[in-house]
Amino acid sequence: MTGATNGRLREFSRRTALGALGVGIVGATVASWPRLSGTDIPGRGDNSLSIAIMGTAADAAARQRAIDAFTRLHPDIRVKVQAIQAVDWKDFFTKILTMVAAGTPPDVVYVATEGAQLFADKLAHPLDEYLRRDAADMAEFFDDVHPSLVEAFMYKGSLFQLPMDWNAANMYYNTTAFAQAGLERPADDWTHVDFRSSLVAMRKARPRDFTPYYWTNRLFGGVVPWLYANDTSFLKETRSTGGDWLWNSFYADDPSRGLRSGGYQWLEPNAGDPRVFETFDYLRSLVKDGLGVRPEEGGGSSLVGLFASNRIGTTPAGGYWVQGLHEAGMKKDDFDVAFFPKWRTQRHQFGTAGYAIMKTAKDKDAAWEWIKFSASRKAMELIFPNPVTTPARRSMVNEALYTGKGPAHWKVFYDTLDKYPTTGPIPAPPQQAAVETALMKNVSLAVSGDERQLKQALESMQRDLELALRRQP
Amino acid sequence: MSTTTRHREGQKHAAKPAASGTAPARSRRHSQRWLAWIFLAPTILGMGLFTLVPIVASVVLAFFRWDIISAPSFVGFENFATVVQDPTVRVSFLNTIVFVVVAVSLQLALALALAVMVQAKMPSWLRTFFRSAFFFPLILSAASVSIFMRYLFNEQFGVVNWFLSLAGIPAVPWLTTPGGSAAVVIMVYVWQNFGFSFLLFIGGLASIPTETYEAASLDGATAWRKHVYVTLPLLSPTTLLASVMAIISALQVFDQPYVLTRGGPGDSTRTAVMVIFESAFQRLEFGQASAIGVILTLIIMAITAAQFRLSKRFVFYQ
Repeated sequence: MTGATNGRLREFSRRTALGALGVGIVGATVASWPRLSGTDIPGRGDNSLSIAIMGTAADAAARQRAIDAFTRLHPDIRVKVQAIQAVDWKDFFTKILTMVAAGTPPDVVYVATEGAQLFADKLAHPLDEYLRRDAADMAEFFDDVHPSLVEAFMYKGSLFQLPMDWNAANMYYNTTAFAQAGLERPADDWTHVDFRSSLVAMRKARPRDFTPYYWTNRLFGGVVPWLYANDTSFLKETRSTGGDWLWNSFYADDPSRGLRSGGYQWLEPNAGDPRVFETFDYLRSLVKDGLGVRPEEGGGSSLVGLFASNRIGTTPAGGYWVQGLHEAGMKKDDFDVAFFPKWRTQRHQFGTAGYAIMKTAKDKDAAWEWIKFSASRKAMELIFPNPVTTPARRSMVNEALYTGKGPAHWKVFYDTLDKYPTTGPIPAPPQQAAVETALMKNVSLAVSGDERQLKQALESMQRDLELALRRQP
Repeated sequence: MSTTTRHREGQKHAAKPAASGTAPARSRRHSQRWLAWIFLAPTILGMGLFTLVPIVASVVLAFFRWDIISAPSFVGFENFATVVQDPTVRVSFLNTIVFVVVAVSLQLALALALAVMVQAKMPSWLRTFFRSAFFFPLILSAASVSIFMRYLFNEQFGVVNWFLSLAGIPAVPWLTTPGGSAAVVIMVYVWQNFGFSFLLFIGGLASIPTETYEAASLDGATAWRKHVYVTLPLLSPTTLLASVMAIISALQVFDQPYVLTRGGPGDSTRTAVMVIFESAFQRLEFGQASAIGVILTLIIMAITAAQFRLSKRFVFYQ
């Protein structure tokens, strides 16, 4: 009797447990259906325009005011911004490509120079037809933006992005360290020899726990600004034909009109150039003499803290650094910015970024409306209220943006383009990832050993670049 | 009472085997079989979808050129020929093998030494503390640990060089020279992974009968001889398991070198899995990445098979 009762209870409880498990599985499936089916991915499952940017959820939220303003203007277009966290642009593009592979590509992607040609070659839709159609509306934008920035987004005669923000590799310096070494603000046309003398003076004033020159090993701000200054590069730079439709429409009267082309091309390696050797040898001597660090690969995330704690004398960076230094506690007079030192030329390096419409975008017209709106002064003021970058519009790089934060010579940022119109973009062909790897992996070795090691590293770089450029992007 | 009942029931079943062929019994067996499949289904489905299908897809992909964006095209063995000739791939495999030999040796030696130490006489709270402390690094994210270590080993501002400077040792370029970066990658990997081998050894040591040690003591064996002639042989099955797991894991090292050095300087810390990642997700050569993955899988299978074959000579089962 008792045993029978126990048996029923056991049976009952087992069935109940199985039933509860089944209900639980069904409930969990129903509850997570949007995730399982991917309908919670921005822009999927509805007709909204999905926009991918590099950053955090806070960066996406910072664009909300711009989205609200856009929605008021275009109530029929719903916009969803998806912030994707990444270590650097290469990492960001990897994640976008993963989304493409997964069949969930965004409609619009915020792409920097590093990926501009990869997107133009494979993924993006040209803006030419829209620019021709809305030429009258866009004239004011191009009037306010330097053509060098626009040319960086030209690819084989077509324009794929409008520059929204940009940064040149200028030279930041710690004013306290300069004062301790008895140095004045550098002249605009200071040379690489003057620069080295400044580092020597700073090292003499502070022999310990201090680095006169800190640099990182990457495409922007690493070895490339020095190569540009020495009128060379690790890739042979040529220009493609075409693009006259744009230059004649918007920059016909620009003094640098004659320099403009259908876009940059990097088709061959150039690591064997004697000037490349000369440049690397200069950097090697800085490392050898304790004036500069061996460059580490990566984004130099610790750099702001080190600079703000007066442990770094100089480092290449752009306008994007101002807000970070301000938040790290630096006062407006604690640091300043100068042009990059002159060598054979004073050509600077810059990187820029803007929205690209994906070929797969559901509604390209809506995507163009977003880009056009984002290029407006009103939208840019909403998106860039602080100096976290340099706005592409010249009129926005003004006293108000830097008041109370510095640097004193903030005009250097835009003057870099105006005074040096040959200033060029980060060399980033469609095979950018392979090219960047080929460069970065050889830089540390090139500047860390003797002259023999430098030669070997450059030979290796030349071989690696040949392989990289031979690859399909 | 109940024991007797179960015993009688058992006898009843044994005495009447024909009963198992009756219709109700068949029905019960049938329903039990279904129930077993229902319980196994989630695991089989999960394994199939997330392990088996990707493995097969990866092998198939190795024979195609595919960049995600365009349609894949069949290229036969071209991807294998390309990766075999690629000096970066060859160097990365060589680096991986050197890494496995050094890191696994250090990991097993450290884990065994600490397991023996922890099994020695000590208060139970202290033993618990050591066990937790040694296992703790394993549960941390490898990427987070590597970022943290990157700061510690920074040549200019790192704490490690600061401590060395107190002893008058000049700053060591840990992450910017081939030797230094390889040493740091190995140190960080071993520190983070020895906890698993440590736990295995703790379990293995606990299963060695104390009588064996008592007998050895009676024979006058010293502590060292007991370790060499009793502990190590009786621990050999555990050592085999620990070494197989450690080698398979080390062959797939990625996080530490990727975050600490990005494979540099040069290719000095580039590993096989890093090359797979770079080929696939940075260069969009999914076919070549799959070919490297297939080669790595075959190497792992060959090494594991060799270990089990060799184990017949060196492993002693009680």
